[in-house]
Formats: sequence, structure tokens, C-alpha cells
Amino acid sequence: MIIELKKFGTTLISRQTGKEAFLAFQSFLGDIKENEKIEVDFKGVLTFSPSWGDEFLTPLLEKYGSRLVLKNTSNLSVKATLEILQVTAGKKFKIEL
Amino acid sequence: MEQKDFYTSAELAELMGISRIAVFNKIKKGEIKAQKMGRNFVIFKKDIGDIEFFSSNLFKNAKDWAVSQKEIPGQNYCQNSAIFQARITKMEMLLLKNRNTKKLYSLLTSIAGEIGNNSYDHNLGQWPDIPGIFFGYDLNKKQIVLADRGLGVLQTLKRVKPGLKDHRGALEVAFTEIISGRKPEARGNGLKYVRKVILENPINLVFQTGDAKLKLNSGNPNLSIETADEIIRGCIALITY
Repeated sequence: MIIELKKFGTTLISRQTGKEAFLAFQSFLGDIKENEKIEVDFKGVLTFSPSWGDEFLTPLLEKYGSRLVLKNTSNLSVKATLEILQVTAGKKFKIEL
Repeated sequence: MEQKDFYTSAELAELMGISRIAVFNKIKKGEIKAQKMGRNFVIFKKDIGDIEFFSSNLFKNAKDWAVSQKEIPGQNYCQNSAIFQARITKMEMLLLKNRNTKKLYSLLTSIAGEIGNNSYDHNLGQWPDIPGIFFGYDLNKKQIVLADRGLGVLQTLKRVKPGLKDHRGALEVAFTEIISGRKPEARGNGLKYVRKVILENPINLVFQTGDAKLKLNSGNPNLSIETADEIIRGCIALITY
């Protein structure tokens, strides 16, 4: 499954909207097959922050671990956010280069 | 009472937070359009756009509001987080178009977002008087200002760290430890993120809560916290780049 983050907006900065995005995503969870990769694509995202990321990405990382793969993460705020989320979660994200 | 359509130089100096001589100098240089009236100068409101006028002293306006509830222009007041989100998205677009911030735009937007959204998250349902934040920016002066009249960092963090004694200690914890003021919710990485971004990029921050004033400078991992003269109950932040 591919999740295009830009469909949730291009300025992803608050906990409130991150939480809403995660809730909206719940309805797709049933479609995910066992061992299927969850690809999160950052293409088109202008600004990303730890508040939004912590509400959306951290629970995905907890749930899917290495099945979660992040793509197009070169935006500076995306990079810096992923670094700090990894520290707080105590786990590493799998990033596709 | 009839409203005047001009300011005297003394009134303008007071509003801009500068001396009367500084106003005269600006008039002399042509930066402020004024007209001679008797022995004094007057400045017509129509000649001085609101935006230009208020953005010239954003930090003072924010501080006056945070300290003494002095009125602020509607364009700087974001009563709720939805208004803040709309205005910060506009700033993001302007930063993106500005040649000075083409590279830094996303980092500046994200740290301003973290600081502003922290105010809403930590004061939700508990604003002592006025809900919401002051948010303003001046891309010519390369500054972004945020302020709130909330509970402040000490009171927020005391809920999870009852041993905290003063604002200085609270600020230090907020910028260095992964801790949440909304326990049991897992949160509390925002200000650590702000610190990391400033350390690695040409951005500086002044952040005050209570009587503790923190300065973070680009490339410097040290937290410099000094005691401020004026007390801010909530928080005020000045980001420069």
C-alpha cells in the first residue's frame, strides 16, 4: 500500500491534523495484507514537523516496524523530523533512497 | 468622540516603541511621510499602512500583549489553531518565494509551527484569560514572532515534574528532555526539535517564559538562560535567521 502524504495536505505541522489523518487512515487498514509493505511517500510535502509525524508515523512504526518504508524524504524539515522521531520512538525508520 | 486621522510624532514614537528622535530621523530620511503642523510634525494614518507600521516592531507588540494585554492588530491574533494553520501556510508560501529563504523555508515553518502549536496543545481548556496566540513575521527584517498569554512552561511541566522550582529549570527541561506536559499522552519532542534545527542551521531563537529568557544560537549547543526584567506569564519567542 502506498500512502501519499500530500493528500493529507502539504503543510503537516500540528498534532490535531496528524491525529485526524491517522484516524482517516484507519479505514484503509483492513485492506492491508499480511507482510504487505506500507510505503509512505513524502513527495509534494512542503513542511513536516514532529507533532504531525508523532501522531501519524510513530504509531505506524510501532505497528508495522520494518514493513513501513518511507520515500522521497529529502525535504529538510522531513529529514530533521525523522531524526528526532527515531530518538523518541527508540526505533529506526526504513528509508528508501 | 471624533477619531483623529493622524498621529503626532510623540504618539507614533510610543506606538512604535522607539524614541521621538528616531521618528524624526525616519521622517528626515523619508522613511516616514510626515507633514509640518506648526512647530511639530504629524503623520497621517493614510500615509502609514497598518502592516508596515506594526511589523516594524513586532516583538514589542507581542511583548506588550503578553505582559499587559495591550491591544494587538487582528492580523497578528490567531484565536484558534485553525487560524494559525492558515496564516503559517501563507508565511510558508512567502518564505518559499523569497530568495533568502528558499532553502530554510520548511525548517522555519516547522519550528514556528512547533512553538505556536505547543501554545494551543498545552493551554487547551485552561487559558487564564485570552485564548490563542500572537503570530507575526517580517521577512525584510528576517524575524518571526510568537507569543501566548497561557500558563507558561513551568506550570505546564510541573504536572509531570512536581519538583521543578523555577522558570529557568522548566525551560532547561523543555528544551533538553523528552517529556510531555500532557502525560499520559506520548509527546514532548517539539522544543528538542527546535533546538536541533537551530544548532544545525543559520537560525537563532530567543524564548522567554516567566522570568527566564533562553537564547539559542546557530551552531552553539549551549543553552544560555538569563533572568529577564519583565515577567511573561505565558511564552514569547523571536526567531531570526
